[in-house]
Amino acid sequence: MNAPRKQPSLQNRLLLLVLGFAVAVWLGAAVITWRDAQHEIDELLDGHLAQAAALLLVQAQGDHDDVSDAPVLHKYAPQVVFQVFVEGQLITRSANAGQQPLSQRDEGFSTVRREDGELWRVVSAHEKHHDITVLVGEKVKSRRAILWALMRSLLQPLLLALPLFGLALWWSVRKGLAPIRALRDTLERRAPHTVEPLLLARMPRELAPLVQTLNGLLERIDQMVQIERRFTADAAHELRTPIAAIRAQAQVAMGAGEDEAERNHALQTTLAGCDRASHLIDQMLTLARLEAAPAVQAGDVDLSGVARRVAGELVHTALRRKQEISVLADVACPVAANELLLGVLVRNLLDNALRYSPDGARVELTVNANAPGVVLTVQDSGPGMTQEAIAHLGERFFRVLGSEQTGSGLGWSIVRRLLAVFGAQAQIGRSTELGGLSVAVRWPAQPR
Amino acid sequence: MRILLAEDDAMLGDGLRAGLRQAGFQVDWVRDGLAAQRELCSGVYAAAVLDLGLPLKDGLEVLKAVRERKIDTPILVLTARDAVPDRVVGLDTGADDYVIKPVDLHELAARLRSLVRRALGQLQDTLRYGTVELNASARCVSLGGEVVLLSMREYDLLHALMRNAGRVLSREQLEQQMYSWGHEVESNTIEVHIHHLRRKLGSELIQTVRGVGYMVQRDPPSA
Repeated sequence: MNAPRKQPSLQNRLLLLVLGFAVAVWLGAAVITWRDAQHEIDELLDGHLAQAAALLLVQAQGDHDDVSDAPVLHKYAPQVVFQVFVEGQLITRSANAGQQPLSQRDEGFSTVRREDGELWRVVSAHEKHHDITVLVGEKVKSRRAILWALMRSLLQPLLLALPLFGLALWWSVRKGLAPIRALRDTLERRAPHTVEPLLLARMPRELAPLVQTLNGLLERIDQMVQIERRFTADAAHELRTPIAAIRAQAQVAMGAGEDEAERNHALQTTLAGCDRASHLIDQMLTLARLEAAPAVQAGDVDLSGVARRVAGELVHTALRRKQEISVLADVACPVAANELLLGVLVRNLLDNALRYSPDGARVELTVNANAPGVVLTVQDSGPGMTQEAIAHLGERFFRVLGSEQTGSGLGWSIVRRLLAVFGAQAQIGRSTELGGLSVAVRWPAQPR
Repeated sequence: MRILLAEDDAMLGDGLRAGLRQAGFQVDWVRDGLAAQRELCSGVYAAAVLDLGLPLKDGLEVLKAVRERKIDTPILVLTARDAVPDRVVGLDTGADDYVIKPVDLHELAARLRSLVRRALGQLQDTLRYGTVELNASARCVSLGGEVVLLSMREYDLLHALMRNAGRVLSREQLEQQMYSWGHEVESNTIEVHIHHLRRKLGSELIQTVRGVGYMVQRDPPSA
């Protein structure tokens, strides 16, 4: 029951989603922090630059006799640069400042690339009265370095925490999905033919409906298995009993010795047993063929003609038991059916009526085309059936209790199968005219 | 020996009854589970043949009900249900033998004799009292090695007494064990048969226990 590799995993999906979302949130937070920090650093350092420029400006108003280079006081000093111009002449500068003005701008902040290839943030201040211009610059790189240092201290613990978080997440998801795995294991461990329902107790709310559906399915399978099992048992019984009877009767005939009457009775019963077994086999074969080939070619067949023919075939059987068959089918009634199968249907209905009616009973076969559609009715003057027995009709091998006749219990199964094939419907009830059973088969009106 | 046959199929029941009668059994035939249970509870049968697919009450239910009432009549289940689980359930529910249809009548008769024998704790098919020997499968009685011809009733009576050796059987008990339904028993029939048996096999075989009935001793008094 191992899932193929391509199949999506609920656990991986959960893991990826949560982990992805967490990483996205962290990245977003980092970007916001970056921008915030950058802004604050720029604000602060720009402020410092401006302050320094103002200081130089004030100082330059005092003396500007000769050009001087300011001493380098600290190893970090080269990060910063300044120039002071008076009336266009460079009079003071830092050691690393060069001759050219740092920026072309007169007033305010600018970012320039100098001949050393570095980016510099430069503030320019101008004093109109003495025509003094002060330029103070600072390496952009050093600002970035501060930012990086800041971000590093912020991001490093997060990067370390991410795998730990992932691991914790994986564990939690696994733990959370444990009931699903437990369910799978339970199903896997079951014997292949167990159909007992799974226990719903302690099942998480999300899984309960699934398990309920599964239990429903198991129940239906169980029912089907039961039906099949019963069918096999019944079929075995139905097939073995006539054979057992034939064998017993034949043996009785052999052992009868001088008793002529006993031997004759046994031999006659042996023959009747053979008839019964062959009838049963016919019925089973018919049913098997019907179940194997559900769709049949249907044309227009005259139901009245078929009814008359079948009644003619069964007249001898009826006469043997002094039963009377009357057929009311004079008008041709075409129905959509296969002639051979229609014959099987009518024969089964009529045969049932004759079989389960007492000697001397009347059986009436009517074909009526006046009702909507065509209706074939078979009525008899026999004992009829209780509602309970009617409900059991069509269960294979069901037979009415206490009936002396040797039916197979398959007739109605065949009839029902044929009705499905023809798209016809049957109504079973008590015959108002004859008092026995009445079976009415109705073909819906054919669209013209 | 009187046995009960519970079988709902008319043709098979008729055949089994006729066949078992030929084998020398007195057969009562019932066709549904309720009747089978009622008759089994009467306790007069030496054994029973029980079909499982009985109407009104399933054979297994009958078996269970009968065994719950402590009826120990040997029961042979004769059925079409051949699956191993069915056999196991049948035997566990209290069947003494489980036979699948169709069955040979001779075999069925032999199995019934064997069940009755085992129920009475006998090891062999032949019962002995002194020089009198009764072979149940051959329905043959001999005295000192010479075969003695007995009528069917005489044999049945002797068989009933010998297989219950050491027990006193009343006239009613003997009649119940010998006659199936539909046989009128005249009031002195048993006495007549006893008289004939004593004439053919010697007077000391069957003892009369006055006011109670008849019995055959387990062993002849040592000389």
